[in-house]
Amino acid sequence: MSTAPHPVASARRRRNRTGTTTGQGGQAGPARQPGRSGPAGKAGQAGQGRIAVLFLLPALISLALLRLIPAGVALVESFFNESLLQGGRTFVGIGNYTDLIGNPDFRQSVAVTLVFTLIVNPVQIAVSFLLAVLYTQRAAGSKVWRALVVLPIAVPPAVSAVIWSVIYRPDGLANSFLDLLTIPAQPFLTSSSQALPSIIVLLSWIGVGYWMLFLIAGINDIPDDIHEAASLDGVSPWRRLWSITLPLVRRPLAFVLVADTVANLLVFAPVQILTKGGPNGTTNLMMYDVYNRAYAIGDLHTAQAEVILLVAVTLIIVALQFRLLKGDDR
Amino acid sequence: MNRRPLPYFARSVAAALIGLAFFIPLLWVLTGSLRPGNETFARLSPLSWGSFITVDPTLENYSRLFTGDIGRATLNSLLVSVVTVVAGLAICASAAFGLSAFRFRGRTAVFAVVVLSFLIPFDAIAIPLSDMFRDWNLTNTFTGLVLPGIGNGMAIFLLRQFFLAIPTELVEAGRLDGLGWFGVFTRIYLPLSRPALIGAGLTLFLFQWHSYVWPLLMGTDREHILGPVALANLQGQNFVDYGVVFAGAVLLTLIPLAVILGFQRYFIQPVSSSGLK
Repeated sequence: MSTAPHPVASARRRRNRTGTTTGQGGQAGPARQPGRSGPAGKAGQAGQGRIAVLFLLPALISLALLRLIPAGVALVESFFNESLLQGGRTFVGIGNYTDLIGNPDFRQSVAVTLVFTLIVNPVQIAVSFLLAVLYTQRAAGSKVWRALVVLPIAVPPAVSAVIWSVIYRPDGLANSFLDLLTIPAQPFLTSSSQALPSIIVLLSWIGVGYWMLFLIAGINDIPDDIHEAASLDGVSPWRRLWSITLPLVRRPLAFVLVADTVANLLVFAPVQILTKGGPNGTTNLMMYDVYNRAYAIGDLHTAQAEVILLVAVTLIIVALQFRLLKGDDR
Repeated sequence: MNRRPLPYFARSVAAALIGLAFFIPLLWVLTGSLRPGNETFARLSPLSWGSFITVDPTLENYSRLFTGDIGRATLNSLLVSVVTVVAGLAICASAAFGLSAFRFRGRTAVFAVVVLSFLIPFDAIAIPLSDMFRDWNLTNTFTGLVLPGIGNGMAIFLLRQFFLAIPTELVEAGRLDGLGWFGVFTRIYLPLSRPALIGAGLTLFLFQWHSYVWPLLMGTDREHILGPVALANLQGQNFVDYGVVFAGAVLLTLIPLAVILGFQRYFIQPVSSSGLK
């Protein structure tokens, strides 16, 4: 089916909206587009370069020092090892990586992270999408209820972990609710089978409202007349949700999918605060495994190798996003 | 008339129930922060209205908060976040200006560096970076806590997108009137870019306020500990006064909430448009 015209229309609407809310800067957009040659034209190119560098220098230094160099250091260090016998660093090639792969704790961590990723992302995105649909329709007090869903995004991840550690206590809020429903008390964080789902619930509590905001923006960009036309043609509401709303928000949806996946790959605070990777390693997500390897086990070089793997996976996912969105533009 | 997946009444009930479900943990925390710590769990079985509402609120937990470590840690968080926003905006806005007002060789390469730097997730490289900071004696210093927040590729990217839309004619007029490039930046670009600056400032603020891995690695002594780390430490102790823990959680949530609410118009717009284009 062809929905080609709609993203264009929605992009144009979005731009218009930016124009009206952002004042002069935004409205002036089109005037700037053809050949972004600098104000001084060709004449002052060399001089301009020097001035531009002055403006860029503080940021470039801090980006290099605080983002790129540590990544480079981790890459280099991941090929070395500290050897007490030979004294000092020795080059071990991919030795740290093969050590990692041979390590059952690491393998379990990868498996846990994979399962976690495959559950948490679809769940959060599906819930965010359905809530975005619900809260963009007219309903009594809709704005207030929507605000309550969004509210937890202000809670810092570590603080939400602290809050839920109390909720999940044996005598905590979660079990009181189960008691109300005459369900026996559950162990939650101390159970191998319930700990990871418990963490997923708390992450969704702070995450869903945030991702919903992007999807609400996307849904609001869909022109009303498309829905009206479909409605007049007798298309059922559920069918419209599936074949109109969903395809038309696929750009924000793709963004949310990737950003959410990356964010969830880096989950750390709840694991460190609630379970320390346990019980029996069932919540040992990779980010916590890196931390644990570096500080509790003290194997910094192998931890660096794991950092590199984590960064590589992230970059692959982001690269996929660019492919996804590029293919979409045609 | 316009048929929807659910009728109006069912929709309203669903919207309300879901909203309340998201709110209940926060309400419980807020109520718990307003009653003595030994009542936190006593009011839970059986669950009733009294579990969530208190008729005789007390501010004692909050006053104990301010005499204890959490109050100090919250002030530290505020200091680190505010300094990050101010320094970060100065650095990121001037970089964005350098990338958008000038045409020079290597501009594409510089921009690629900016993009690459925000594609590398900070938390993942926090461990190698903390090792470097230890060598530079930045552990347990405010400088060490602030630094990673100031060079924010995402903020540069957002500001550059906005700056590119500022018309050349304005800059030319300014130059003819004798403005230097710094004048063009501060007198023309910055005043025109308030929304983008606020959006980027929010990004910088929340990056710091919500960070946990970095302050855990970098600042753990009493003078430099940040709010979330201090709260997590408090919760991990053997004898915990949950009234105080909840008061700390409320405080650490209300501050970013106030900031987000104050600038909510700018909250999602910049992030979403950057992701979509």
